[in-house]
Amino acid sequence: MTALAILQVLLLVLLVVCGVLAVRLKDLLGSVIALAAGSLLLSLQFFLLQAPDVAIAEAGIGAALTTALFVLAIRKTRRKEEE
Amino acid sequence: MIAELPFTVAAVVLAGFMFVSVLRLAIGPTAADRAVALDTVNTLVVTTMVLLGAGLGQVVLVDVAIVYALLSFVSTLYIARYLEGGWG
Repeated sequence: MTALAILQVLLLVLLVVCGVLAVRLKDLLGSVIALAAGSLLLSLQFFLLQAPDVAIAEAGIGAALTTALFVLAIRKTRRKEEE
Repeated sequence: MIAELPFTVAAVVLAGFMFVSVLRLAIGPTAADRAVALDTVNTLVVTTMVLLGAGLGQVVLVDVAIVYALLSFVSTLYIARYLEGGWG
């Protein structure tokens, strides 16, 4: 198992952890932050799979645009999710 | 041609740091803790991209890291703006 394969497995485990956090957190701002972290790690995974153009698109849309839109939406509504 | 192994091993170590940061993102009590954890993961991802771009000998991968470092600032800016509760 090469070092790159170990790196990919670690990143995928982190990606799953971030996805579960984005679903399970009750604080919606924390959920958005977990989603942004997952998008970051997904971009690094695209980068490792030798697809730099996809990584740039994921960086622009996933990390920057989606987070900004979700935070603006939370500002207009409530932050805490009800039980 | 640079030797590839030290760069990839350094990238694995940085992934371990990312693991600790995601742990803080998971247990962080306040949103500010989570925002700082996200920013740390951001910086680590950019560093890993530069390391791998140098180690694998592909200059185009460094451009991705530059674009990423520019764009990832926006999300942190919006979260900080929300936490501050100021303009807009």
